[in-house]
Amino acid sequence: MNNVRTQLQQRVKTAIAEKTPLRICAGNSKECYGNKIKTNHDIDIKPYSGIIHYEPTELCITVRAGTRLAELEAELSKHQQILPFEPPSFTQNATIGGTVATGLSGPRRPYSGAVRDAILGVTIIDGQGEIVRFGGQVMKNVAGYDVSRLMTGAQGTLGILLDISLRLIPKPEHNITYQLPHSQQEALEYFTNTRHSNLPITASCHHKLQTYIRLSGSEKQLDELVKTYDIQTMEDGDDFWRDIRDQQHDFFQRNDKPLWRISCAPAAPLTQQVDIRTLLEWNGAIRWITSNMPANIIQNIAQKANGEAILFRGHVAGINTFKKPEPTLFRLHQRLKRQLDPKGIFNPNRLYEGL
Amino acid sequence: METHIKKELENTIDGKLAKSILRSCVHCGFCNATCPTYQLLGDENDGPRGRIYLIKQLFEGDGSESTEKTRLHLDRCLSCRSCETTCPSGVKYGALLDIGRKLAEDLAPRSREEKKKRKRLQTTLSSPKRFGTLLKAGQLLRPLLPKDTRQKIPKKRLALECPTTIHERKMLILQGCVQPALSPDINTATAIVLDKLGISLIHHKKVKCCGAVSQHLSSEDKAITQIKNNIDAWWDDISNGIEAIITTASGCGVMLKDYPHYLREEGEYLYKAEIVASLSKDISEIIIEENYTSLPIKKTHKLSWHSPCTLQHGQKIIGYVEELLTNTGHTLLPIQDGHICCGSAGTYSILQPELSKQLKHNKLENLTRETPDMIVTANIGCQTHLQQGTEIPVVHWINLFI
Amino acid sequence: MHISPETRTSLLFQLSEILQPEQLLSNKEELRPYECDGLSAYKTLPIAVALPDTIQQIQQIMEICCRNNTPVVARGAGTGLSGGAQPHEGGIILGLARFNKILAIDPDNLTARVQPGVRNLAITEAVRQHKLYYAPDPSSQIACSIGGNVAENSGGVHCLKYGLTVHNILALKIVTVEGDLLTIGSNALDNTGYDLLGLFTGSEGMLGIIVEVVVKLTPDAEDTHLLMAAFNDIEQAGNAVASIIANGIIPAGLEMMDKLAISAAEDFAHAGYPRDAEAILLCELDGSTIDVSEQTQKTKKILTEQGASFIKEAPDKTQQAKLWAGRKAAFPAVGRISPDYYCMDGTIPRKHIAKVLKHITKLSTEFDLRVANVFHAGDGNLHPLILYDANKEGELEKAEQFGAEILRLCVKLGGSITGEHGVGNEKIELMCEQFNTEELTIFHAIKAAFDPNGILNPGKAVPSLHRCAELGHMHVHNGELPHPDIPRF
Repeated sequence: MNNVRTQLQQRVKTAIAEKTPLRICAGNSKECYGNKIKTNHDIDIKPYSGIIHYEPTELCITVRAGTRLAELEAELSKHQQILPFEPPSFTQNATIGGTVATGLSGPRRPYSGAVRDAILGVTIIDGQGEIVRFGGQVMKNVAGYDVSRLMTGAQGTLGILLDISLRLIPKPEHNITYQLPHSQQEALEYFTNTRHSNLPITASCHHKLQTYIRLSGSEKQLDELVKTYDIQTMEDGDDFWRDIRDQQHDFFQRNDKPLWRISCAPAAPLTQQVDIRTLLEWNGAIRWITSNMPANIIQNIAQKANGEAILFRGHVAGINTFKKPEPTLFRLHQRLKRQLDPKGIFNPNRLYEGL
Repeated sequence: METHIKKELENTIDGKLAKSILRSCVHCGFCNATCPTYQLLGDENDGPRGRIYLIKQLFEGDGSESTEKTRLHLDRCLSCRSCETTCPSGVKYGALLDIGRKLAEDLAPRSREEKKKRKRLQTTLSSPKRFGTLLKAGQLLRPLLPKDTRQKIPKKRLALECPTTIHERKMLILQGCVQPALSPDINTATAIVLDKLGISLIHHKKVKCCGAVSQHLSSEDKAITQIKNNIDAWWDDISNGIEAIITTASGCGVMLKDYPHYLREEGEYLYKAEIVASLSKDISEIIIEENYTSLPIKKTHKLSWHSPCTLQHGQKIIGYVEELLTNTGHTLLPIQDGHICCGSAGTYSILQPELSKQLKHNKLENLTRETPDMIVTANIGCQTHLQQGTEIPVVHWINLFI
Repeated sequence: MHISPETRTSLLFQLSEILQPEQLLSNKEELRPYECDGLSAYKTLPIAVALPDTIQQIQQIMEICCRNNTPVVARGAGTGLSGGAQPHEGGIILGLARFNKILAIDPDNLTARVQPGVRNLAITEAVRQHKLYYAPDPSSQIACSIGGNVAENSGGVHCLKYGLTVHNILALKIVTVEGDLLTIGSNALDNTGYDLLGLFTGSEGMLGIIVEVVVKLTPDAEDTHLLMAAFNDIEQAGNAVASIIANGIIPAGLEMMDKLAISAAEDFAHAGYPRDAEAILLCELDGSTIDVSEQTQKTKKILTEQGASFIKEAPDKTQQAKLWAGRKAAFPAVGRISPDYYCMDGTIPRKHIAKVLKHITKLSTEFDLRVANVFHAGDGNLHPLILYDANKEGELEKAEQFGAEILRLCVKLGGSITGEHGVGNEKIELMCEQFNTEELTIFHAIKAAFDPNGILNPGKAVPSLHRCAELGHMHVHNGELPHPDIPRF
């Protein structure tokens, strides 16, 4: 693997010397998530894969960025552990590098944290073509700035991820899922109430007048809950959550309209609109919308909830995936980018135009 | 903390004491968290850790750095000793402050004006007779005075009939200097309750003030004279095996218990002071040992309990009064920031009116939030101070036992 | 940095135009109490201390200091243990203690918006009525401020399960070095753009001034159980820790204390710790009632298997508070057995606990200094307290060398020189051991993006490349330094 690593580093050094921008890619499963990168130079991370170090008692794994999620999860499963953020695999090719670069988390996110919360350390190729390491394998580490978190969700614009150390959690013995007939408003109220409870909830969703809740824990614990609350469990609960996570659920399968993702405070009030299909996730903190409504209306809905609308999939004229932040904040982004990638070779414009 | 006491003080009693206290401080800053003035002013100089630092300079520096500013920050301290309760390292802040204040006075003497004011206060307050006369005049004129002054003069309270039975069990009582005039009911209530429990009280006319007023007003010599006078007055009874010396104002109580500190340089008196301190008991410490549930309780109330700093931090008496009141059927309301001073703090309310007012305001907000029938406390200073800001009666808890 | 009397006067004049007299301290006597923070071994007098009480004043102060190129050191409660708030001799202290208001509590969204000077524990006290609390609980939580917690990414005894500060804040309002007011993060669970919130957390006042914090609140656990296990052998205690985690149990807190720490803490708190034990573990389990009872049974079994000589259970709040009180006050309580102590903060992978402890004991004999060990054992965060006497010549230096030895070992074993106290001034030279030139260069690049002239807390957290070179840690390639444009002071 050292060979692959050296080759990647060499590619970057050449790109720096020639000032040719690079498009960083691996599984291409999240290609739609971000602006198009105008370059003919792809740098493929896929070959740089495999688990470097895994010690279950330390609740930590170090993997190469090109490792497929499926492969990683299979290994963890052998030791009854999981990634706390339950990342989506939109295709079988999704990699851990792409997951960290996009910062996308799945159904478990509100209950056991996001990708950025689980990141312990990274090794990257930086804007000078150097291989540098930050963080480590311990959860508590405050020496130096938190470069590992800075890389998470940076869409590859600040460097190329090579090795990634992640915090793990024990895999729950059992999961059960139940459904409740709820309007959206009732669902939000239910989410708010359960947030204050000690129920071992690990996923929540609302779609088409049904609230879906997943509980995880020991068999005995779940049995007790089923008895106490007279819960009717769903037969194919695990499949349901996998479909939601990987966007295989019917809701995500219709490609005729753009798919928007609104991220807001979970209890933010709903804005009712005709002609939109909605799916709530994360206790209400994620509101998926498919609609042909003009972008400004969708953005308005997000703004009313004090949140942010992302054009997740589909095309809307004049609209990029992510909305540019306000000028002072954008200037800080530019200054960071210029400092860390002075030649502008890593995924230019992928996150914002002009970055 | 690293400490280098300057040569001329190194071998004095105060210098040695300061050194040992300073060395026990690890500068963690926990004390600031529960310091009333730090909470209000947000300046390190106005919190215990900063004041310890200022005092450290007094003992280490050549004196050129320490001016009236140091004195001001030390003056602003309420001496509530909340910080001592919080301090995990066991720093004896109160004792350090006391010797620090003395040194600050020497290095940056007060103006003549200021000195006069303090002198006046001290002579008036520590003499029950003089204070009583003035108060009576004030109460007579109360309706005619401007509102601000009027609020400072408490309404007249009626004294009750004292019991005359003589029991075998006897205890000494310190009636206090301002208390007999301001709230004569407290001492009589104490006598009545103890009478029912089979204890007689002895009061010596020679004992006037415990010495705290002089101490607060930085005339330590005067305080020492008063303390010695009190010890002399009590000594015969003590030699004859008196059971206890009771205080009903926790401010006096803490002073009595600190007598050994004030007489630290007084040779033979130090020994006597230690005995006085060990016999000294707050009235709650006495009652809790007796069969108090047998006392007839007329009516139960919804109460806000304000524990004076001199009780909870100074004497470290925590939970006694609460237990007494709950066990006799009263309801105690939950109080936020119960550890924070009400701003009375002896003569503080007169010398630092701004800060004192603000603390009183915050305290009353917390005490009256749940609309109690009355506020109960254990120190005449807090009682009078708080009553100035509320219509809800503020009384000594002992009054609920008669 | 030497500053001329003219510059000083001019700066004070400019500051006095926006601050009330009592908000600006400039004479030595009143500056002295600010010369150090919780780490009193290192002291410097600043030019002045500014105590603003509005955000606008902070913005104006930053504008003035930016214009005059005056170093600014932000200070919260001054309880830090790495000298992070130690003044700069040519700069000012920006004291934020007056910002002590809780601005809003949102129980539905489990958040609270607070000013930076609010004490950590005050947040929990304020939200208790909603059956919520703020999870990170550094031992100094009674006094330390939330702004300081963010700057240091503070941990505490419960971060094994509930995370560090970075996992428990949602948004910050910051004032940039130029005086701009900016919001980073939001009340949502997910934000786009660079994770500046993550970058700011633990940045030790080097990137901007924190003026408001939105914290995440956690619902009270239905049930909590605390176990105290005593061991006659410190190595057994270390192994018990690894074994608990290996069995899929994530305790809310998992703490360890050795004999010396036990006795100091016991003197203050009278918690009922067994003074004859070589080590004790405090293991807190929380969650739903069923969950807690299951975990308790499992944990007790593990502790017994690992050789615990005695297990005490504290099922109710009062008993738990008593057992925790000793642990929380353990540091200052050590002040009772030694005039000074030097607190280390390394982290290591859990499996090495026993090994490191043995090594510390060996070093203790070599350096002839006593050590009290207090650990967040669950996450491998060590707090050896090296006892010394600052009044004795050479003892501080000896303690420092001893501490450095311990931290070197931590780095060697794959850990870090600081888990939660920050680098500050104290561990700056050891940064050269944990990071190489290229990595430090990245840190300097980040700093330059936020603070091009380096006026925010200069000399802390990240060593200049020059300093590392002097210490023999810098590797210069072909006589060229990377990023020649970066100031290397």
